Amino acid sequence: MHLLRRAGLRYLLGHRWQVALAVLGITLGVAVVTAVDLANRSALQAFQLSADALTGEATHSITAGSEGFDEALYPWLRVEQGERRASPVVEGYAEDLDQAARVWRVLGVDAFAESEVRPGLGGIAGQADLALFMGRDDHVLMLEDAAAELDLQPGDRLRLRVQGRERTVVLGGTLATARPVDRQGLHDVLIMDIAAAQALLGRTGRLDRIDLVLPDEGRAATLAEDLPDGVQLRPAEARSSALLDMSRAFRLNLTAFSLLALLVGAFLIYNAMTFAVVQRRALFGRLRALGVDRVQILRLVLLEAAVVGLVGSVLGLVVGWLLAQGLVGLVTRTINDLYFVVQVRGVALSPHNLALGLALGMGATLVAALLPANEAARSPPRATLSRADLEGRSRARAPRLAGAGVGAILLGSALLLVSPALLVAFVGIFLLLMGAALMVPWLVLRSSLALARPAGALFGLPGRMAARGLSAGLSRSAVAVAALMIAISTVVGVGVMVDSFRGTFERWLDASLAADVYIAAPSVTGEASPPLAPGLPEAFAGVEGVERITTGRYLRLARGGEDWRLRAYDLGRDRADGFMFREGDPALWARLREEDAVLVTEPFQSRHGVGTGDPLTLPTPAGERSFTVVGVTYDYTTSEGAVIMAAERYRSIWEDETVNSVAVHAAAGTDTAELVARLRSAAGEAQALRYRPSAEIRRISLDVFDRTFTITHVLRLLATGVAVVGVLGALLALALERSREMAVLRAMGCSVQQVRRLILGQSLFAGGLSGLLALPLGLALAVALTQTINQRAFGWSLGVHVDPLLLLQAVALAVLAALLAGWYPARRMAATPPGDALREEVE
Amino acid sequence: MGRARFFPALLLAGAVPIAGLTGCGDREPPEDPAPMSVTGALSGEDQGAGLTRVEGPEPLVFPRDHGPHPGYRHEWWYVTGHLFDGEDRHYGFQATLFRFNVAPESTPERPSAWATDQLWMGHFAITDTQGEAFHHFERLSRGALELAGGQPDPFRIWLEDWSLAADDDSPGPFPMRVRFQQDGFGVDLRLEAEKPMVLQGDGGYSQKGPERGNASRYFSWTRLAAEGRLTLEGDERRVAGQAWKDREWGTSALGEDLAGWDWFSVQLDDGHELMFYHLRREDGGVDPISKGLWVTPAGDSRVLGLEDVDLVATDEWQSPDGQATYPGGWQLTLPEEGLALELRPVVADQELRAGVFRYWEGALAVSGERAGQPVSGHGYAELTGY
Repeated sequence: MHLLRRAGLRYLLGHRWQVALAVLGITLGVAVVTAVDLANRSALQAFQLSADALTGEATHSITAGSEGFDEALYPWLRVEQGERRASPVVEGYAEDLDQAARVWRVLGVDAFAESEVRPGLGGIAGQADLALFMGRDDHVLMLEDAAAELDLQPGDRLRLRVQGRERTVVLGGTLATARPVDRQGLHDVLIMDIAAAQALLGRTGRLDRIDLVLPDEGRAATLAEDLPDGVQLRPAEARSSALLDMSRAFRLNLTAFSLLALLVGAFLIYNAMTFAVVQRRALFGRLRALGVDRVQILRLVLLEAAVVGLVGSVLGLVVGWLLAQGLVGLVTRTINDLYFVVQVRGVALSPHNLALGLALGMGATLVAALLPANEAARSPPRATLSRADLEGRSRARAPRLAGAGVGAILLGSALLLVSPALLVAFVGIFLLLMGAALMVPWLVLRSSLALARPAGALFGLPGRMAARGLSAGLSRSAVAVAALMIAISTVVGVGVMVDSFRGTFERWLDASLAADVYIAAPSVTGEASPPLAPGLPEAFAGVEGVERITTGRYLRLARGGEDWRLRAYDLGRDRADGFMFREGDPALWARLREEDAVLVTEPFQSRHGVGTGDPLTLPTPAGERSFTVVGVTYDYTTSEGAVIMAAERYRSIWEDETVNSVAVHAAAGTDTAELVARLRSAAGEAQALRYRPSAEIRRISLDVFDRTFTITHVLRLLATGVAVVGVLGALLALALERSREMAVLRAMGCSVQQVRRLILGQSLFAGGLSGLLALPLGLALAVALTQTINQRAFGWSLGVHVDPLLLLQAVALAVLAALLAGWYPARRMAATPPGDALREEVE
Repeated sequence: MGRARFFPALLLAGAVPIAGLTGCGDREPPEDPAPMSVTGALSGEDQGAGLTRVEGPEPLVFPRDHGPHPGYRHEWWYVTGHLFDGEDRHYGFQATLFRFNVAPESTPERPSAWATDQLWMGHFAITDTQGEAFHHFERLSRGALELAGGQPDPFRIWLEDWSLAADDDSPGPFPMRVRFQQDGFGVDLRLEAEKPMVLQGDGGYSQKGPERGNASRYFSWTRLAAEGRLTLEGDERRVAGQAWKDREWGTSALGEDLAGWDWFSVQLDDGHELMFYHLRREDGGVDPISKGLWVTPAGDSRVLGLEDVDLVATDEWQSPDGQATYPGGWQLTLPEEGLALELRPVVADQELRAGVFRYWEGALAVSGERAGQPVSGHGYAELTGY
């Protein structure tokens, strides 16, 4: 081995603790990025696989929103139109009552039309008995793997809840699939004959989809024209890509947060490498004197960094994979709450993850090490340059860096203010953070000088030394302060954002939940409530203690590649109950009842760019119809957005009396619990319904909200963890480096306690400074997150709500982290006999 | 009872891939044929429960018996024929609709219009003798939502846009319009009966085995004048010729020792027709239950027994993928009539292999002598279990 390389390796081995901290930093950074990427990707892949398996070879689909269309369209398409590669589908979701939290996708197909369209089902092998499959309404098939996992045998029963009704089906057979895509994509699918599925899902006479393989776009165009009103022909991927598009913002947010953790990790690397260089300045000087050139030194330091980076990255991949096992559940739950039903089983590292983790880990390490390596290479041939010179250069550079920082902050703010795209907004946030970090050395310098006198006055010489010590060791202390500041500002920023969001959401909930009891049939998370049995609303209206009821009808309309949500409500008599308006026509209540007028929710407005006064075309059973938007309401239920219509108009245009939910307004003085009991008995046994007092809805909604942000909290904690480790490393380095100084102090008569206090004081100072600097940065971050990122990502406008306690906590956290980080060096320093320390320092 | 033997072959073929169920035309069958077994339902060796059986000679009732009998396991309308265009170019065609009851014990009164126990299958093939080409297609459909079905009066049997239907308001099926079209191939023919219908077996009661109920109803039209249009690779031409139609239904099952059968129909230029088949046993022998029918120009018929006809294969043909080797030509003699015929496939490869069931069904050229006079004609052969 080359002598230089051996020297490098020896150094790394000889400074294990220091190397370990650097490795830990990069490990945590890579782990968080890998975990988030894995979790995101697994959720995405599960969705994509099931979409692919279910799409099969289909090029197009015929759909008509949530209500489907008349099944007579299928014979027409197949016989009159001669489209023989066409497969009818009835589908829905069923909760498994024996397997908590398992949701089956029920797919009703015509086996004889399948293999033309969906090789997944055509390629299925098994022992299904066609006589039972076609002859019974309760026979289902599932994949062999799924049956094995649940320990089910053909003939076993499954208890399901379908649209609020309990149903029992029989496992008629299991299927083995030929293609891996089907094995995964069909894992949570119950396959039924289309007749049985219609019966189970209550879809008699209707189809949800016809998947078809069309020869070319020309045929698609002519076919689309011949389809009846309200029925759409769309490319097969349109629906899934629209869903993916909607969840993109959420996934991007997670990725950005995870990169933040890596950023903090990079600070650690920088810190560790700088320290490694500084410690060996004398050695490098001597090496240079012996004829080793600059490039060789540069290479040596970078090589050391690469080793640290590689070890850290590989460990990070492993830890990330472990972390992802837990994270994927959180991501999936949020996606299910907010976007679409997806079930993820298993998280597997792919070459992509490996490449991404290694590239980011090594990249961050090498970039972070570049500056120290350069510093090392510039060591003059003799070891004349003292540490003081280095710190002097650091101090001299501080104002210039601060200037650059101000520039970065300005640029970042500008991007945040004008950026139309989410990605650009994130770049803005990173610039903001980097800019703040660049300003740290100068701020540390100024504040340490400014504080030296008061600290001296308060704590005597150790206080003064503690304050000045930070500026004396600026190259090290500034990095530690910056890392901690960024971590704490993330805590503040994200915390304020979540608080603001929650506060806004709560206010909106209070305004929206105007009724006393809400009644709906239970539904699978993410799906609209199934229709109430006919006659139920009337029955509820007649119950004693009910002042009045309002009804809600929820459906989806096929429009472009998307399925727009339509909500039809019994709107009160000029009563604004349940609505908070962002903007609107003063006469909107009258217009909603008397004209073709609709409201849209705020996310709908930002997604589709339609506001008050704009026309909006909706597909109705009688063809496309133009409506006028008369108002925009706040709505935090879905970032997809929704169109809201008066129930009277909906009923007359759609000729549909279906109701999905009933809101009961109780007469004054009615006891809610007793009212619910009376409502229950009025409903009878026809349908399992949930009766929820508004307080319960409020609680459940906030639970879902908190659940959604669990992942955010977890990421925030991880970033903080990385920062604490960083500060620990930096302070440790700082303290150890100055061990000789401490030894001199001890030798001069300072007590152990005094030295300990000096080191702790320094930590305290660094922590306090980080915490204080983190406040403005964190608040800026919060403003950017609530006002720009959330707007861009979800279309929700949020008020900023700052809890002073949170700020206090943040500063306390910074101080605590710093004290924790200072505790060990303080103990160690104080415990080392001065003689040893003095010897150690002599090279 | 020739075609009745079709079904045991399904059993012999083993599991039937659903994948293949919808494979049609000249498409490659799926690489990994995965059997979602419909054979159990189609064969039902022991499970005749819920199905009606043919249990003895009974007078046929028309027009009712031209239409479907959904209570029986299987039923078919089987048309084959020979056509010539203006340039005297020869074409063979097969246009067949099958009906199966696949779910005899299904739940009654189901809410969905898709609910049915009826499965329909169509086979359509054209043999282009001069072009030495054979084109075949298969369709399957449930008998629901008017996708496939049948009615006796006015007679109409259909699977999507493939149909056999009375061409005018006649009470019976003839004159019949045969319309089968797919992917640039098709026939649109009008069939007129030149001879009355003949009953097979004992007045249409065709015994399939020793047990009671193991039988079918079977009758045929052995000479139909055909006229209309034939489409080959998109080119339409006027054609005329002769066709043959078999009608059969039942819930019968066959003995397990049978390997398959060789079935022949022959239309001679002198006005006679002959139907004859060998039921081949696993041990290589021919089952004594094998039979035939001889029809005179006047339309009189008599049943032939195995011993009446001497049938010897003279050649063989292997399908391209090597999966099956069929006989490729025959010597047939019927000493009582002084009949000695040579039967030769007009095209060697007339194997239907793209669909659920693999078998050879093809046009034959017939030549030889009867009572010392040279005679010629055309025929069809069905070879299964190879």
